[in-house]
Amino acid sequence: MILNGIITGLIMGGILSLPVLGVAVIYGITGIPNFAIGVIGVFGGFLTWYFLSFNMGIAILVGVVFCFAIGYIIQRILLTPISERGGDSTLFFIVTVSLGFVFEGLMRAIFPRPSISLALPRIGTINIAGVTVEGFKIFALLFALGTLVIIRLLEEHTEIGKSWQATSQNLKLAKLIGIKTNRVFSIASGIGCALACVGAIFWGSLYNLNLMTGWDLGFLGFIIAVVGGIGNIWGGIISALIMGMVMSFSGYLLGGMWQSVILYFIVILVLIVAPKGILGSERSL
Amino acid sequence: MSEPILEVSGLTACYGMISALKGIGFYVNDNEIVGIVGPNGAGKTTLLESIAGSMHIKEGQINFLGHQIERWPVLKRRQLGLMLVPQEGNIFPLMSVKKNLEVSVILSNRAKKEELIDRVYKLFPVLWEKRRQIANTLSGGQQKMLAVGIGIASNAKVMLIDEPSIGLAPKLVTKLFETLKKIKEDTRTTIVLSEQNIKVLNIADRLFGLEAGEIRFDEKTENLSRDVVKDLYLGSIS
Ligand SMILES: Nc1ncnc2c1ncn2[C@@H]1O[C@H](COP(=O)(O)OP(=O)(O)OP(=O)(O)O)[C@@H](O)[C@H]1O
Ligand SMILES: [Mg+2]
Repeated sequence: MILNGIITGLIMGGILSLPVLGVAVIYGITGIPNFAIGVIGVFGGFLTWYFLSFNMGIAILVGVVFCFAIGYIIQRILLTPISERGGDSTLFFIVTVSLGFVFEGLMRAIFPRPSISLALPRIGTINIAGVTVEGFKIFALLFALGTLVIIRLLEEHTEIGKSWQATSQNLKLAKLIGIKTNRVFSIASGIGCALACVGAIFWGSLYNLNLMTGWDLGFLGFIIAVVGGIGNIWGGIISALIMGMVMSFSGYLLGGMWQSVILYFIVILVLIVAPKGILGSERSL
Repeated sequence: MSEPILEVSGLTACYGMISALKGIGFYVNDNEIVGIVGPNGAGKTTLLESIAGSMHIKEGQINFLGHQIERWPVLKRRQLGLMLVPQEGNIFPLMSVKKNLEVSVILSNRAKKEELIDRVYKLFPVLWEKRRQIANTLSGGQQKMLAVGIGIASNAKVMLIDEPSIGLAPKLVTKLFETLKKIKEDTRTTIVLSEQNIKVLNIADRLFGLEAGEIRFDEKTENLSRDVVKDLYLGSIS
């Protein structure tokens, strides 16, 4: 079942690539490692679940917009001020992990169920060389890749995109030429959290979401981003797809409990060989 | 003689315990080229960064176009017409030359943008030739031209340039200085440059001598001898 393994791996990797993209966008532009984005994304997923019976489109919008706003606000009132006062990665680790616990606690308090699964409509099945795949999974993969392409296009061809690049490459000069860098940071953080939310929604409809999923998605997203070269979007995607495969094959061949052992073993191995990740960690997009 | 367009008084700044500027008074008239000369560590960079707002000052006033700007953030000073080309880190390293310039005209309107970028290409034809090249693959001298080009593209009323001649071949220094003079004449831009190169005498209308965080002289260039200026540099070597 090699083909089956490949397809499952690609889909897992594709969905994982959304939080990875979120991490990459936030770190690439602000230089801040945000460990809370997974939990914030799952919070958005719970919101979507809550409103799902009402109207699917609106429910998804509520979750995604909520996460964008949270990302925007925490950057604006918390992370940018800390960074202006010279905060280092240790401080950001503590602050963003604490934020994650805050949102986890809020989820526990607000939502009636600790574990949910999102009933999004299935799109039928597709037959790829004899293997039957749910259309929805293919859609998830295409969506992730499409998002990547859109971000790249925005960056290359719009004025906003250029000012993002400028901000990530030389913050001081970006300020000097008149870019509103604090706004760039806030928007990047909002987009990162919104991407994590989309990832959580897909995850929640293919598997399930619980209070811990956010940490899993966030840390996995982070680790995958580091393996790809943190801040490097292409590296992140490639690494997500590879890791998806690793998870899928180790699951098939050795059983689910070996998945994370193999995964993290490979992560450590890659980082010993290439400490800056597969494609290097230039803080560019 | 007109009023100063930029005036600094009683400016002090420090890095932790080290005081880098000890009560600087300094002014620039409209459409002048003013040179700040002084040995390494004199405080030239600190002074320019303080004026642009990327360095926090301790005390003192900075008046620009009739506004007290010493507490303004960088962006607001930029919008009023100040621009600094820093001594280091003065390009966007991973963008093409073209994109470096495109992003530098961000505050201008659409029609003006093209005009400004064209102006930079006319002044530095080599940048036009290399427009598709990634900035950090340019030679050191070409990167310096790009940095000054970014300053020109910003279309500032007062352009501060921190040691543009560092690392340039003597011929290129002469050429760069001529270009600065041309910018001043063509666009009525006021230019403040810090320098250690004696050729600054050829373009500056006035020179300020800065040493150990204090102003040592303030003279029209025609009244200054090369020896006086040289003395100040040589002071740094001993
Ligand atoms: N980041 C810093 N931390 C501590 N001290 C600093 C820092 N930057 C500059 N200084 C000190 O402040 C003083 C002025 O430095 P500044 O860079 O302004 O001099 P400069 O005239 O620009 O010198 P150069 O010609 O070498 O560029 C120096 O004594 C320097 O050691
Ligand atoms: Mg200096």
